[in-house]
Amino acid sequence: MKLEGEYTFDGPQAEVWKLIRDPEVLSTALPGTQSLEQVSENEYQGDMNLRIGPVAGVFSGKIIVSDEVPPESCRLTVEGKGKPGFVNGTGDVQLIAQDDGKTLMKYAGEVQIGGRLASVGQRLIDTASKSIISQGLDTLNRALQARVAAQVTGKEVEYTPPSESEFAASVAKDMATGAFSASRMVWIGIAILIIVLIVVLVFISRGGN
Amino acid sequence: MTKLIGQRIKRNEDPRLLTGQALFVDDVNIPGMLHAAFLRSDYAHAYLRSIEVSAALNRPGVVAVITAQDMGDEWQPGPPLVSPPPTVKGVIFNSRTQVPLARDKVRHVGEPIALVIAENRYIAEDAVEDIDVDLDPIEAVVDLETALDRSAPLVHADLDSNLAAHLVQHRGDYAAARSEADLVIKRKIVIDRGAAAAMENRGIVADWDAKSEHLTVWDTTQAPIPIRNGLAQRLGLSVGQVRVIAPFMGGGFGPKMMMFYPEELLIPWVSMKLGRPVKWIEDRRENFYATTQERVQVHEAEMALNKHGRVLGVSHNFLHDSGAYDPYGLTIPLNTQSHVLGAYDIPNYYSDLKVVFTNKTLTTPIRGAGRPQGIFVVERLLDIAAKELGIDPVEIRMRNFIPPEAFPYEREIIDQAFAPLILDSGNYKPVLEKAAAMIGYERFVRDEGPRLRAEGRHVGIGIVTFIETTGVGPYEGARVTVEASGKIRVATGVGTQGQGHFTSFAQIVAEQLGVGIEDVHLVTGDTSDFHWGTGTFASRGAVVAGNAIYASTQVVREKILKLASKVLEAPEEELEIEAGQVRVADIPSLSISLGELALLANPLRGAVQPGTEPGLEATAYFGPQYGAAAFGVHAMILEVDPETMMVEIKRYVVVEDCGTILNPMILEGQIHGGVAMGIGNAYFEKLIYDENGQLLNASLADYLIPSAGEVPRIEVGHEETRSPLNPLGTKGAGEAGTIPVPALFAQALENALADLDIEILEMPLSPNRLFEILQKKEKEK
Repeated sequence: MKLEGEYTFDGPQAEVWKLIRDPEVLSTALPGTQSLEQVSENEYQGDMNLRIGPVAGVFSGKIIVSDEVPPESCRLTVEGKGKPGFVNGTGDVQLIAQDDGKTLMKYAGEVQIGGRLASVGQRLIDTASKSIISQGLDTLNRALQARVAAQVTGKEVEYTPPSESEFAASVAKDMATGAFSASRMVWIGIAILIIVLIVVLVFISRGGN
Repeated sequence: MTKLIGQRIKRNEDPRLLTGQALFVDDVNIPGMLHAAFLRSDYAHAYLRSIEVSAALNRPGVVAVITAQDMGDEWQPGPPLVSPPPTVKGVIFNSRTQVPLARDKVRHVGEPIALVIAENRYIAEDAVEDIDVDLDPIEAVVDLETALDRSAPLVHADLDSNLAAHLVQHRGDYAAARSEADLVIKRKIVIDRGAAAAMENRGIVADWDAKSEHLTVWDTTQAPIPIRNGLAQRLGLSVGQVRVIAPFMGGGFGPKMMMFYPEELLIPWVSMKLGRPVKWIEDRRENFYATTQERVQVHEAEMALNKHGRVLGVSHNFLHDSGAYDPYGLTIPLNTQSHVLGAYDIPNYYSDLKVVFTNKTLTTPIRGAGRPQGIFVVERLLDIAAKELGIDPVEIRMRNFIPPEAFPYEREIIDQAFAPLILDSGNYKPVLEKAAAMIGYERFVRDEGPRLRAEGRHVGIGIVTFIETTGVGPYEGARVTVEASGKIRVATGVGTQGQGHFTSFAQIVAEQLGVGIEDVHLVTGDTSDFHWGTGTFASRGAVVAGNAIYASTQVVREKILKLASKVLEAPEEELEIEAGQVRVADIPSLSISLGELALLANPLRGAVQPGTEPGLEATAYFGPQYGAAAFGVHAMILEVDPETMMVEIKRYVVVEDCGTILNPMILEGQIHGGVAMGIGNAYFEKLIYDENGQLLNASLADYLIPSAGEVPRIEVGHEETRSPLNPLGTKGAGEAGTIPVPALFAQALENALADLDIEILEMPLSPNRLFEILQKKEKEK
């Protein structure tokens, strides 16, 4: 299945690249990340907690980064599996500088999902994943704005990321209020989610090097 | 003789069922019993590289973990259940049967890979998650139409392609008929997958007693005797060492006729290995992956007609999805071939069938079993032709019916019984007339429909016909015994899954033996009570087992009269049996009870005369010459809500001719359940697989079965054309409720949306799908 999506960050490309190389910011933007280890130059292994409706559990992922062009783009290949099923995918991520000083993130790729995650979580995947992506990227964007503001004023601006429970509560609220109405293209939602998770995992790791 | 056959009698079994006293497999609990859970594949198609089970084995409470390797030489693919018909020339059939546990490759999501045995199910389930299995995925075969491409990956690598079978059947000369036709209708028709979704999932308890060297198995099977025979063979036991009990069951519908499921072999096998009783109860999610499914076919079909609406011939090339293995042979598509000509006298037919392996759960018969697809094809083509020719749908059917004088009617097509199909009897026109009258067909078409349409409402009528081949052989048997209590014990081999056997069979016996139906105690599905027979499937219980019971009862009746004649010193012709007493017709005071006679027939002293048998007991068998063909008509009025695409069924009428009716109330219950299932097949139930062979709706929250809100009140009318093939004159009715519903829905929806001029050429539909069809139509305009 093919997937694609985009998000605009309120800051310049270099800052976005730097931000997403900061593991602390990233792990708070997507609570649930448990570990990430580099096993070879371009290969990483990590664990992440994931909950989609009735399906919850730890996913163990293997990520391979290739074709990296800082601060612009890279290709990611992921093989993740856990009790609730498996996720396999490939994705391309691009950061494009905009004229107004903003940065457009584009992602596109292909993902396969199986097991309980596919068969039982199906109905909730669309809304949950859209919400998780949106909240995660919004959190990153707030962190970005805090940094940009600090550079202007020369002072540290306080940035408080959401806790795992706050994050989960926001997602649940979105789902309950139908903030993201379900479309039939449920796969795209989960695929975007997975790619974003991958991006986050990779950059946490890279940032930590 | 008090007439009991044909009476509306309340069911003998209901008090036990309704008060929770009936035994189901999961009610079986034996001290020391262990519990099983299976590790199943998350992938549709993958190589099995390695399995690491040590963590599972180390979990406290785990007794054993079994993989294919652990089975050694005892690992063998399942036996082919039904071979292809040897009677069809040039048939290709590649037999590839299911395996107990995947050894080097998995071929569908949910295929079992390892079996965990533990002190309880919780531990077993946790231990399943401890197993580390390395599956190396490869491209899955999902789409039926590309499965036979050269570039398609192979489900079975030792074959040249994914072709499981190829078979051509024909009668007459379709090409010649086509060249003479005034009208040829050609359409592509697609039918997708559904589940049987029985209320009770599968379950097995096996108990090997090492000291008595005896295996007892409780199994949710429709065919306990073949399971007993097969288990004995596979486990190296004599059939006398194996007892299979099929107790009460929450629905069978066909998939519980599949033999052997991997679990069905493994649970008894592991009980013997461990010397402990073992229970496995399938959960709902497993049921979606591991219990067989049905219906997927793609037809390229055409119908040739003259300008008067007479059908000259039908031709179709069709693909049938077998899933990953094909143990059930060609039963489903043979049923499709034998039903594509419907209830009509169509002289020319050509049918090219290709069965295809895919990386999906196996398909085996589900209530209807290939017949709904055949009926959908012929009824749809006929509806489209009627529209083209400006003939009323009822009228075009009348013009094509097999006339009553043409029976027995030779269809010349080999069917699931491996012989050319013969329709034994029928009188179709009165059934259609009755259904049309009951639904008010003419009035609706003339007044009501146009009036509602003028009000802007989308209300439509549908009326379709179908045949159902039922009551196939080979045989069933029964033993009838008069006990010293005066009660009658009846044992038969078929299993029971809610069909009301305890009542309808009791009616047959009670009428002959002059007792109340509550005095007839029926035992079904226990091989220790009766161990010859096949099973409950193909709408054959009432026909084959019913007539076997009738035959044994006749013999017992003769024995009763003979003995009573001696005791009462009166000629047999003057005796009658009433209210459990045999009495001399003119002198009612001169009588003896059946219980006393039973005691006299089994004396403690004296000598039984040579050439006689003790007891008032008889065993008899019945095998029909060929199957009996039932006929019926369904009609409905439905309204479509243009905002939500939901439908409301305002009227639903069924008129059924299944020969002699044993109990109209039970028959109507069968019809009601069948229609509910058919409504699911038509508008709610669809198993959705993605392009990787992942099932996307494996829960009852996502796979929608019709509930009370979607199933209307169903009005049932009866006609009785006795089958000449059995003494009772019965025909089967188990599948009659389901078979024509998709065809009926399609016609009624088209009628309700007549202004939009759509054609329904696929099933199942859903509100979503109907919306998409309408959108597509809009764009074309």
